[in-house]
Amino acid sequence: MSSALQERDKDGLFSPEVREEIDAWIAKYPPEWKQSAVMAALRIVQDANGGWLTTELMNDVAAYLDMPPIAVYEVATFYSMYELKPVGRHKICVCTNVSCMINGSDKIVEHLEKRLGIRLGETTEDGKFTLKEVECLGACGGAPMFQIGKQYYENLTPEIVDSILDGLE
Amino acid sequence: MNALRNYIKSLFLLELFKGMSVTGRYLFRRKFTVQYPEEKAPVSPRFRGLHAQRRYPNGEERCIACKLCEATCPALAITIEAAPREDGQRRTTRYDIDLFKCIYCGFCEESCPVDAIVETRIYEYHFENREDAVMTKDKLLAVGDKYEAQIAADRAAQAPYR
Amino acid sequence: MSEDRATVTIEVDGREIQAKAGDMLINVTDAAGIPIPRFCYHKKLSVAANCRMCLVEVENVPKPLPACATPVNDGMKVYTRSPKAIAAQKGTMEFLLINHPLDCPICDQGGECELQDVAMGYGGDVSRFVEAKRVVPNPDLGPLVSTDMTRCIHCTRCVRFGAEIAGIRELGATGRGEHMRIGTYVEHALNSELSGNIIDVCPVGALTSKPFRFRARAWELTQFDGIAPHDAVGANIHLHVQNGKVMRVVPKENEAINETWISDRDRFSYEGLYSSDRLMQPMLKDNGAWREVEWEEALEAAVNGLRAAMGSDSAQFGTLIAPTSTVEELYLAQKLTRGLGSGNIDHRLRQTDFRSLGDHPPFPWLNGAIADLEDVDAALVIGSHTRKEQPLLAHRLRKAALKGAYVALLNPFEVPLSHDAEQIAVSPASMVAELAAIAKAAGVKATGDLKKRIDGAKPDDRHKAIAQRLRDAGHGRILLGNLAAAHPDYVLLQALASELAQTVGAGLGYLPVAANSVGAAIAGAEAGRLPGWKRTDAAALDAGAMLEKGLRTYLIAGIDPELDCANPAGAVATLAGAECVVALTAYRTPTLEQVADVMLPMALFAETSGTYVNGEGTWQGARGVVAPVGKARPAWKILRVLGNLLGLEGFDYESADAVRSELEAECEGFEPAAGEIELGDAALMLQNDGLVRAGDVPIYAADTLVRRAGALQHTPDATTGFVSLNPTEAARAGLADAREVRVTQGENSVTLPLEIDPAVPDGCVRIPAGVPGSAGLGVPFGAVGLEKG
Repeated sequence: MSSALQERDKDGLFSPEVREEIDAWIAKYPPEWKQSAVMAALRIVQDANGGWLTTELMNDVAAYLDMPPIAVYEVATFYSMYELKPVGRHKICVCTNVSCMINGSDKIVEHLEKRLGIRLGETTEDGKFTLKEVECLGACGGAPMFQIGKQYYENLTPEIVDSILDGLE
Repeated sequence: MNALRNYIKSLFLLELFKGMSVTGRYLFRRKFTVQYPEEKAPVSPRFRGLHAQRRYPNGEERCIACKLCEATCPALAITIEAAPREDGQRRTTRYDIDLFKCIYCGFCEESCPVDAIVETRIYEYHFENREDAVMTKDKLLAVGDKYEAQIAADRAAQAPYR
Repeated sequence: MSEDRATVTIEVDGREIQAKAGDMLINVTDAAGIPIPRFCYHKKLSVAANCRMCLVEVENVPKPLPACATPVNDGMKVYTRSPKAIAAQKGTMEFLLINHPLDCPICDQGGECELQDVAMGYGGDVSRFVEAKRVVPNPDLGPLVSTDMTRCIHCTRCVRFGAEIAGIRELGATGRGEHMRIGTYVEHALNSELSGNIIDVCPVGALTSKPFRFRARAWELTQFDGIAPHDAVGANIHLHVQNGKVMRVVPKENEAINETWISDRDRFSYEGLYSSDRLMQPMLKDNGAWREVEWEEALEAAVNGLRAAMGSDSAQFGTLIAPTSTVEELYLAQKLTRGLGSGNIDHRLRQTDFRSLGDHPPFPWLNGAIADLEDVDAALVIGSHTRKEQPLLAHRLRKAALKGAYVALLNPFEVPLSHDAEQIAVSPASMVAELAAIAKAAGVKATGDLKKRIDGAKPDDRHKAIAQRLRDAGHGRILLGNLAAAHPDYVLLQALASELAQTVGAGLGYLPVAANSVGAAIAGAEAGRLPGWKRTDAAALDAGAMLEKGLRTYLIAGIDPELDCANPAGAVATLAGAECVVALTAYRTPTLEQVADVMLPMALFAETSGTYVNGEGTWQGARGVVAPVGKARPAWKILRVLGNLLGLEGFDYESADAVRSELEAECEGFEPAAGEIELGDAALMLQNDGLVRAGDVPIYAADTLVRRAGALQHTPDATTGFVSLNPTEAARAGLADAREVRVTQGENSVTLPLEIDPAVPDGCVRIPAGVPGSAGLGVPFGAVGLEKG
């Protein structure tokens, strides 16, 4: 049974674009270390799926990279940038690590929670925003900060936060 | 000299009067005798009498079948069999104390991590058959249910010294 | 590897110790008997060094080092009990206990817990941790392993066991930090046939035995040695007994046999001892009605029945004995049978092809030590579902494969493996042709019928590759498994395998069918073979002939006829037609009630003293450690009394040891010879263009005991029968959307659920044997017809 599972037709997995992108990452590693591409593959698949990973997608990644599914689950649950539940259109990742905390990230979090009416880790009902607490994003110089999508926003105050959120679709 | 002294002692019954004086003194003192069973002597909260099994206030039996009492019992008076209950909890399917074997040392109570098995103040009990000397789980729980108030009060009284 | 490493001298706690350079410190101290606490380190698993419990002080190193991941160097000075080392160990212990619940009283590991023991030595009296402890939900890992993951200390031994030993990575550590947990993520029952070992490797009570759950405490159990009676490994086990009952089975370390592992079948089969259908009292059939009787009456009835039915024709008596019986039982059974003047005794109940292999066939054993299997360079396995048939031998083969050995399998369906292998899966009717193709590729020169087979073969690249790899191997092995042994052309497979082995210079071995198949051959419980595997020309019927021909009287021992015989429907019909059938049995079954006239309750493993000879030929004795249930008696005693009552000479044994000594004396000078195969009639029996059945015996249907082991029968590997086809064949047979199928084999037919499985090749339909669902059918390999049920 397991052998039949491993033999899954790899061409049937993902869309051609996603496969191409993953193949490019696989090519960066020696052939016997194909599974090194797991993080990139998960990220690519997550982006293609609207920002989150289903168990089936993780199984597909495992099959594509010839890994046991559990090894993929381990990676996907370890890193906070992989989402295992649906997320809003804009994922707000607020840093609450030391530098940001000293510079008032608590207030930013409080403000965001009040404005969006959700708690950390939740998504607004209209599916627009997801609020997430993350560890240091390496932008301590501009603390407090958060990341929305792929954009960093630094030196935040409640007013700046409001103007950023107002500017988002 | 000694012989003479002994002769006088026995001639005048000195020893007898000495003894009688003790008797006479106690004849008029306040009496200690307890008229059991009409009267009963006071019992310490630490008294180690008949065993009981307790329940939590919500009615759940305390015993979790850890078998520490069985292991510690110096007289091998306790027999326990355990199995998962329908809800998956660890429970005894059999808990017997053979009162003929028991030496009332109280180790079972000492070892119990959940205060389930206790020795109560009860010392008036009897059996009409040999088999009755085995306290089964049902009997132990029945004793516990009946005397829970007193058992709880006794444990509370002892608590500061444990 | 280890030979060319230099010897170094290190000093541990002031003691000088010699060690091999590069050895891990903990190996060296363990060998020297210096205790170092540890949780994640296990000598059979890779080093993880994640529990940090084995921290020790090393001179000139600023920080304590983990002994499990520190290689020794010459002149290294180690302190395991210095203030720095102890402070480090105590600190680790405190951290480990932060999240560990204080539920030892309800924990099954209590009393045998590594964490408990080490906490006694290194733990503090009072926890300084006042914050909330974490609670982890428990995944359901199936009917064998129960979980309490809150107790887990994340040593990852179970994860590494799955990845490195079982070869299926099912468990993993998901999440991170405080949220890390061990589990399967997607909840499912463990699939490995070695999964029970994670119970042993778990140092805490996170993974415990489900059938044993809450039944007893470690300190109440008495430990006895035993031998597992299910496969040809004869795994060494400890039986844990309380109040005269076997409560659980755990492995006993024996590097040469089972290392530190046992299969789930060995571990959980004990439940079958207390199955509700155990026969407690001798029973007698009176005018069709069964009644319980005393032993005297039953034995007398058995003897009278045998004598009356047999009359003066001793050839009308035959004995069928389970190959899981002890050597003593097998020896006495043949002695009794031959004492009555009959040569009809056999243990090869699942074999269908008994054609002659000449006067000196190879002895049917592994042909080498079990441990040698991990050193092979190339192996060809013919007809074996290795993992489910011989879990621990499969593990040895896996080790070889991981070291780079080439493993090829020829099977009637593709089997799931935990290592790389070349698998040829063909219809059973083509197995001989495939093997002949490999033989041709290897350049085998043969004569007669075999030559015809080889000449007709057309080797392709795969066959050539297998032949080449076998030839190139310094240590090659060709192994014949159970599926070959049950094949209607077994002699052809053997002959081809033997010729191939000689041509490529590989060893020919057998994966013996049952725990004592080798013992049965040595004990003479085989048609045409006396004790010591000595040939005899006296007239004898083999198991197949006995059941085909139909004798007047049978003695059957330790078998369920409808599940243990090659042709279940035929066997039951034949036995039912016999005049007298005396059954030594541990279980009372409807079939036995139908066919037998007397049922004598026999003791099972753990209840009887006896010897098992495993695949490598090691004689392993085991004591009876619990009294047999009810009035059951050890089978060797029953056979002894039957011998006495039948007036046979030499049945006055006082102990099982005396029986064994007698057999050992008869085996004096016996050497398992490589032998030589001379084929007589060797026509191809299985020729079919249509669908052919392949009947493997599922792992938990192998013998009477394991079939009644409750928990094992709820695992994914347990089955009561199914039909599996690949999608193409299913479509061809018009069964693509069928859920049930009516299977017709000869005159017999049954209805079974259909499973579509791409692992089954074209022309083949897999219908397991030895299970109730297929008990109404015939031999495991043969033409079948399918229609929608």
